[in-house]
Amino acid sequence: MLFPEPGTASGVQWAWLAPALSASAFFAVVLLGRFIPRNRAFLSILAIAAGFGVFWYVLKEFLSSGGGEFSVKWFTVGDITVSWGIVVDELSVVMLGLVTFVALAVQVYSLGYMKGEARFGWYFAVHSLFAAAMLTVVLTDNFLLLYMAWELVGVCSYLLIGFWYERRSAAEAAKKAFITTRIGDVGLLIGIIMLFKATGGHFDYSTIVHVAEEGGIASGTLTVAMLLIFLGAMGKSAQFPLHVWLPDAMEGPAPVSALIHAATMVVAGVYLVARLFPLFLLAPTALLVVAIIGLITALLTASMALVMTDLKRVLAYSTISHLGFMMLALGSGGFTAGMFHLLTHAFAKALLFLGAGSIAHGSGKTDIREMGGLWRRMPVTAVAFGIGVLALGGIPPLSGFFSKDEVLVAVLSGRGPVFFVLTLAAALMSAMYMARLLFLVVLGNLKKENEHAHESPWVMKLPLVALAILALTAGFLAPGWTSDYKGFGAFLFHEEPEAYHINGLVMGLSLALAFGGFALGWALYSRGLLSADRIRERFAWLHRLLVNKYYIDALYQWVINRIVLVLGRFIALFDRVVINDTGVNGTGRSVLLSGIRLRYLETGKVYNYALGMVVGVVVVALIWWLGLPNV
Amino acid sequence: MLSAIVFLPLAGALVIALLLREERRIRLWAAAVTVAELALAIAAFVLFRVEDYRRVGSMELVERYESWIPPLSVQYHLGIDGLSVPLVLLTALLGMCAVFASWSVRVRVREYFMWLLILQTAVTGVFVSLDFILFFIFWELELLPMYFLISIWGSGRKDYSAMKFVIFTLSGSAFMLVGILALFFSVDTFSMVDLPSKIEGARLILPAGAIFAFLFAAFAVKLPVWPLHTWLPDAHTDAPTAVSVMLAGVLLKMGGYGMIRIAVGMFPKMAQDYAWLLAILAVISVLYGAIVTLRQTDLKRLIAFSSISHMGYVLLGISSVVGVKGAVSSVGLTGAAMQMFTHGTITGLLFLLVGLVYDKAHTRHIPDMGGLATRMPLIATAMVVAGLASLGLPSTAGFVSEVVVFLGTFPVWGWATALAVFGIVITAGYILWMLQRALFGPPLQRFAQVGDATLVEVLPIAALVIAIMVVGIYPAILTEVFKTGLEPIVNSLQTAAGP
Repeated sequence: MLFPEPGTASGVQWAWLAPALSASAFFAVVLLGRFIPRNRAFLSILAIAAGFGVFWYVLKEFLSSGGGEFSVKWFTVGDITVSWGIVVDELSVVMLGLVTFVALAVQVYSLGYMKGEARFGWYFAVHSLFAAAMLTVVLTDNFLLLYMAWELVGVCSYLLIGFWYERRSAAEAAKKAFITTRIGDVGLLIGIIMLFKATGGHFDYSTIVHVAEEGGIASGTLTVAMLLIFLGAMGKSAQFPLHVWLPDAMEGPAPVSALIHAATMVVAGVYLVARLFPLFLLAPTALLVVAIIGLITALLTASMALVMTDLKRVLAYSTISHLGFMMLALGSGGFTAGMFHLLTHAFAKALLFLGAGSIAHGSGKTDIREMGGLWRRMPVTAVAFGIGVLALGGIPPLSGFFSKDEVLVAVLSGRGPVFFVLTLAAALMSAMYMARLLFLVVLGNLKKENEHAHESPWVMKLPLVALAILALTAGFLAPGWTSDYKGFGAFLFHEEPEAYHINGLVMGLSLALAFGGFALGWALYSRGLLSADRIRERFAWLHRLLVNKYYIDALYQWVINRIVLVLGRFIALFDRVVINDTGVNGTGRSVLLSGIRLRYLETGKVYNYALGMVVGVVVVALIWWLGLPNV
Repeated sequence: MLSAIVFLPLAGALVIALLLREERRIRLWAAAVTVAELALAIAAFVLFRVEDYRRVGSMELVERYESWIPPLSVQYHLGIDGLSVPLVLLTALLGMCAVFASWSVRVRVREYFMWLLILQTAVTGVFVSLDFILFFIFWELELLPMYFLISIWGSGRKDYSAMKFVIFTLSGSAFMLVGILALFFSVDTFSMVDLPSKIEGARLILPAGAIFAFLFAAFAVKLPVWPLHTWLPDAHTDAPTAVSVMLAGVLLKMGGYGMIRIAVGMFPKMAQDYAWLLAILAVISVLYGAIVTLRQTDLKRLIAFSSISHMGYVLLGISSVVGVKGAVSSVGLTGAAMQMFTHGTITGLLFLLVGLVYDKAHTRHIPDMGGLATRMPLIATAMVVAGLASLGLPSTAGFVSEVVVFLGTFPVWGWATALAVFGIVITAGYILWMLQRALFGPPLQRFAQVGDATLVEVLPIAALVIAIMVVGIYPAILTEVFKTGLEPIVNSLQTAAGP
């Protein structure tokens, strides 16, 4: 039942309204757009704002009377029943709040950023569709609906990356994103079907978890299924080796990057691992793979972020790196840490992308080497951007410091010192590239060609300020303040509430690395105490390796061009030459040829035919006599 | 009512032949006939859903004239059940679209629309015949209009393609006729309703495996199954737009329909014994078809090859008939039937759009295209919808049918299904490449004069887009219907599989 029974206290069922509203906005704009007078964007924004309202209502109801699962039948096929359903628990409530808030902020911002754009209405329509699909991802209670919504967010991402489809690179990037994530999705689908088979025909999480915990799924099957499902998460969350699509996705408009490629869609993979955490705990090998992939991703992409020169690309690599941190935390058993980092990172990174958009809007620049001193011309943007930088760099008391600290604690206790040290290395790099942005973009001297740069309109500044406040303060959610609120870990946890950890060693190291990273950045990019150019020359091979993204993209391109397409050409040739020309036309030709040959048998001479008849009769008689005695 | 549905287009063709001269009137008349036909088919579908919802396995709207050809006990016997009624609806829907898609035909208009209408009668007849000889007559009747439509109004190597299509189908038909006659001389009936129960336990004059193979071969040519597929890309590429729509949309489904109702329905045991072979052929069709599609540069040929891949999923669903540990489920067959319907709407739409693009831009060579989205936004939007449905996007019809096939077949043929799932990545590859190269990118100067779809052209597009979305969002509209039709077949499969 999606409609609450009369007389029942809880109203959390109404959470389904949030995606439904945005979906209606999408259909209204697409189907009736012509009849809506002026500004169609306002429908989308109204829908997501109402969704945000639904979040507050659901939160209130949830805190007072708890959550639950609610579903309606969708269709049956054979003995399988497929339903639409939602689950309201701590995890989905947190995600509901995050998605509606960031989507609202980004849509408001887009009013300014996309102003005067052709296809303005279409842009907002797709945003609404995205919000509906993303909210379904986080609310659904079963795998099939998850997969559907999962694919739909992928399509929205495709449409929005390719929003400026007249640009060849944008169309190319959109296609790359869709296909790369689809490789992961195949794993997800097979994993879902494996679990479906193993549980005797179930899609809903709670039944599958229940069966698995009872030992109803063979551990080998479970491990393989979880690995396949994680492949899907890797695709969406751009984990190595499927990370290549996300940097290219920066071809889309900046607000799209903020919403889809930083705060919401790309964390869907992390969310999925968290949602299925009980299953991953039953498959420790799969969980270890999660941790390893997360660590590799965090390290690899943080190093690439150090050398990129396009502002949005730096942010993209930083996003992937932080998604790696989240996966690593989950893979180390740090459920709360992973989710908390997801939350703080979402605010800070959405802020940074919107800031980058505002900078591009005001100065027309996208290359960080051409920026500098922008605070003199666009103070609000610069301050907000600076807050985002410091938050992600891990400077206390901003939000990133708290969550990064929790991730480090989780890694140390869950996976031991080797993982921990490597995580520290990634954290140091993350402080360094953030420092690079701070000193090259915001601070420093204003360049002459940027004299004309101007501050963005208030619809763009407002979301920046809101997100900046959250990036500044969200960290304080971690420790408890009152007897009612015992910290984030006491609200969102797996199995046991987690108190706020303070580990002196970890915190000390974390602080040292954050400040050390920023100090190094200051020395390199602001004071010139160290010469970045000299380092670049000294380690030219390393620089080349990083700038070329470890040649991973090139390798994939090579595989596609040299293996997949060559194989395709070979099989297409085989199809024509062997099957069609030899098999089909050859058969036809041989009939023709045998006709030409055989016609010489038709001599027209009676004694030839008589001989043939006699031979035939004898052969038939022989067969009859020898072969078929009983007929 | 069924006779009316079957013969209305034929009657329409006669009227054109005898009474109508003016081209405009012929077009309008043909459109009126197909719209009326669609209304009748919708009525039959709704009647079926409402009235006989729970009457599992019974034939409805039966028309039976027992002494049609008495010496041979051939009957005039029509009827529909849950398996055939969606296909009748599909035929009527695409028949209407085909007429609208032919608005710009200017050569020998009268003959053209006559053949198109006769084609529709033949295909509808195949789906509603319950007498094997009648079935065979309709099956053969469909060749005639196809041959003329391709060889007169086609393009490229049209004579070669038309002849190839005819020879392929006729060779299959020869096998089918042997099978039909062998059955008749064994159990002395042509009635497709009585045959399944009579065959069971009867002494056949040919081994059951041989008869099954003969019948299956005929349907495998039509579906088509690798390696019997090479007629398809040629016929599709050289056929006029409307004929491609009918060919991909409904003619291929005659193969799938025959496989399910006749090959599997009459020989459940044989189908189970050879299910492994079907699964292998299905995976080859899916992957081989998809990989070959990657290399196609002709828009029409690309979609033609993609059909081979997509019909592989039909065969994959059918291969699930063997069941798991003696328990046969209807899911795989339902998926196969769903895939037939959804592929009909999706690929029909794709061919329709490709035809429009060709009409306007005068090229089908993808590398020559680009930026068409700016010039023809309506066509481009529909093409994106159709493309996404083709690659199985959730909330479109393509997703539902593919996922139901996977769910039905994975428990039976795990590895084969897992391999076939990779087909959806390759599908995404060629569909998105096609969309990107043809529609996106900077607008080209040479397409500056190209216009968008006109109102007449938008009608069939809208009809198919609606069909795709409705099935995608509310699949129960079809699954419930197919279920009633498939239940008797599943029961006989269950009996054959043993307790």
